[in-house]
Amino acid sequence: MSFLGRGASTPAGGVNHERMEMAINEIEMITDVFNRIVSSCHNKCISPRYSEGDLNKGESVCIDRCVAKFFEVNKKVGEKLQSAGANAAPS
Amino acid sequence: MDFSQFNSAEQAHMTKVIEKKQMQDFMRMYSSVVERCFNSCCSDFTSKALSSKEEQCVMNCADKFLKHSERVGARFAELNADAMGSQPGKH
Repeated sequence: MSFLGRGASTPAGGVNHERMEMAINEIEMITDVFNRIVSSCHNKCISPRYSEGDLNKGESVCIDRCVAKFFEVNKKVGEKLQSAGANAAPS
Repeated sequence: MDFSQFNSAEQAHMTKVIEKKQMQDFMRMYSSVVERCFNSCCSDFTSKALSSKEEQCVMNCADKFLKHSERVGARFAELNADAMGSQPGKH
């Protein structure tokens, strides 16, 4: 039996559950982040008056910036948690 | 997230899983839009029927949400591609 670098080997024509689980988890995580961004940026950028059906210029710009900031925050929190985990591990 | 590492049996499975998730996601989004638009637009309960003002508000709300979601999706894809691109060893 040959072992691929990624862990469990895949039987020819069969299904490698470990890799698929990882891919599915990644999809779920990305979908979750997307849904949160939609919800948060809607709350922050779009007024609930709904005077018209189109996004005005202000709202469009707000959305662009909101998404960018969310990603930044996501990255920074990830780095922080990673370093916190790394600090906690050796002890 | 690339599918070149998966054989055809796995790809078929992944496609089914993704389709199911998209369906669930769509249903979730639908409920959340209904709740959001109801909460923002409907506060006058002197009548069972939607007033024309409330109806227009709901139409605008739904329209706006779809456009908002579309815009977030576009920005998200750009930023996600950037983030993935800057981590060449990840996949």
